[in-house]
Amino acid sequence: MPARELVAPAVAFVAIVALIVGGAAAVPFVSGGDATDVTNLAAERTDVDAVTVAEAESTGEITMDSGADSKTVLIDRAHANQISDQKLSTLTNALVANGHEVEYVSRETARGPGWNESLRDADALLVANPNQPYTPDQLAGVQAFADAGGRVMLMSDPASIQQIGLLGLGVQQQSNGDASLSSDFGVSARSGYLFNMHEYQQTYQSIYATPGSGSLSQGVDRVVVRDAAAVAVADGQTALTVGERTRLSTTRRADTYGVAVQSGPVAMVGDTDFLTPESAYVADNEVLIGNIADFLVSGEKTANAPAPPQQGQSGPGGEQPPTRPPETVA
Amino acid sequence: MFVVAVVAAVLVSAVLAPVAYDAAQSAQSDGTVSVITVSGTITGSTVDSVSEDLREARTDESIRAVVLKVDSGGGLVAPSERLYLEVLRTSEQMPVVASVQGIGASGAYYGMLPADEIYVLSSTTIGSVGVISAGGSAPVPDSIIRTGPDKAQPTAEDRRRTIESLKRQFVGRVMEHRGEEISVSRQEVAYAKTYLGPEAATNGYADEVGSLPVAIDRAADMAGMENYDVVRKEPPLQGGFILFSAESDNDTMIYKQGPGTNGPVPVTQPLLVDELPNQRPALATRDEGVTHNASA
Repeated sequence: MPARELVAPAVAFVAIVALIVGGAAAVPFVSGGDATDVTNLAAERTDVDAVTVAEAESTGEITMDSGADSKTVLIDRAHANQISDQKLSTLTNALVANGHEVEYVSRETARGPGWNESLRDADALLVANPNQPYTPDQLAGVQAFADAGGRVMLMSDPASIQQIGLLGLGVQQQSNGDASLSSDFGVSARSGYLFNMHEYQQTYQSIYATPGSGSLSQGVDRVVVRDAAAVAVADGQTALTVGERTRLSTTRRADTYGVAVQSGPVAMVGDTDFLTPESAYVADNEVLIGNIADFLVSGEKTANAPAPPQQGQSGPGGEQPPTRPPETVA
Repeated sequence: MFVVAVVAAVLVSAVLAPVAYDAAQSAQSDGTVSVITVSGTITGSTVDSVSEDLREARTDESIRAVVLKVDSGGGLVAPSERLYLEVLRTSEQMPVVASVQGIGASGAYYGMLPADEIYVLSSTTIGSVGVISAGGSAPVPDSIIRTGPDKAQPTAEDRRRTIESLKRQFVGRVMEHRGEEISVSRQEVAYAKTYLGPEAATNGYADEVGSLPVAIDRAADMAGMENYDVVRKEPPLQGGFILFSAESDNDTMIYKQGPGTNGPVPVTQPLLVDELPNQRPALATRDEGVTHNASA
């Protein structure tokens, strides 16, 4: 076939292709193409004010009003107490700065008569989150200690759940309280934690408590407790109560629960988180910590209490001087 | 010869008749309902695929309604919000109906909020409007140097503020989209409870008890279609081996695989999930005695 005969079809081919492809390319210019109109839905649907959670304002100083002479505050470390040094530091620093002494009683020093010997040298006892039971002798010793004018401060968080095991898949519950100790003094903690879905600081478990009566609430406008237990007293004062719409996790009932109570020489607070350095200056927590320090040094304990047992009696005290004195940190 | 022609004609007709039938059907069809599956843990990649299907539904003129077939217990926070925004964008253009299968909780519920209607089964679990997160921070070893005290170590307060803000966003959007139907207060929604289908249909978390075909028919009806086609969009199959990566937080391996999820979920960041990721149910539900244990 001569090449000449191919020219006409080739020209026709090129012309048709050019027309169709060129036409297709020209259509968007004529029609304006697919206009992309993207509305910013995320911004439209976000209320910045509503979703902003304010930082907790930390102000004030932990101060003590008490001008009491140097007192010794004994901190229980003998009953698997679940409380960190960091938490205790805010309280112990205030005590030490005001000339008082802080001692710890460890499991070793509390053996046998050691517990009551440690009490004998102290003016106040702080028990936080015990996870081992007290022996009858130890209970009798604390009772005698309080009867003699020693101050007893109990702090009890709700039972906590800890992860255990290789993969952290197991859980274990810790009671964080000893009912036999608190019931001796007519104070008790209810099971479960307090929460408030209406008024809270940052999250629903961080709730506000306002003052009732008693020295612990002096000068307090409101404090913030976090994951707190409801505490009650049989014959005494409720120093701090939470708002009406606060509920207990176990019963889901709304009530004005107490979170700090006092009964003579004994006080109980259903929280330890307010002591942490980051929470200690939130709201009036620093005032509460100062009041607790004042409470601890307010007693005038009679000497030699709890008394050692009489000769020939088996009892809590023992007659020998302590072989291992409590560790002194102050 | 005549016989051959008849046989050939019948054979050719047999092949062409279904095509003609389909063509006639399509010609009668008013449009298409796209059924898009949202299942398993909500992660960036699952939302990528669902977003693509939704975008296609918005741009394909033959698709006039979307049904979300949901079976998920939630997942990561940002992908859940992305899913929400994609569904919202689609629902502004055409009817969107959600049909929840086994579970439509937390992040999955977040994603389906903009749907015009939510259908559930009697056995569906729905709700869980809340956020979970690890509480504290692992201490930073002295061997690591950092440029600031909050670098790679948010404080417990930071974490509380983060999840509270995310919760407010989530609860706010639930009230916004379900506000007219829902009989539960904002605070009760924030309890993050899950409900079974019939209760959810009563209290307004969902609209009605009904299965997927009912939801499809409803979506078509809302789009004004009597005769409609259905096109199903399934997530891409995840073939091959599934490697479990596990995030380490405080030396604890944390991962999760269970109903409604299809992969490990790290709990080092806030999550919109219905179950605690690292809880062994047998232990979690057993009424354990309180231990007095010194070493734990």
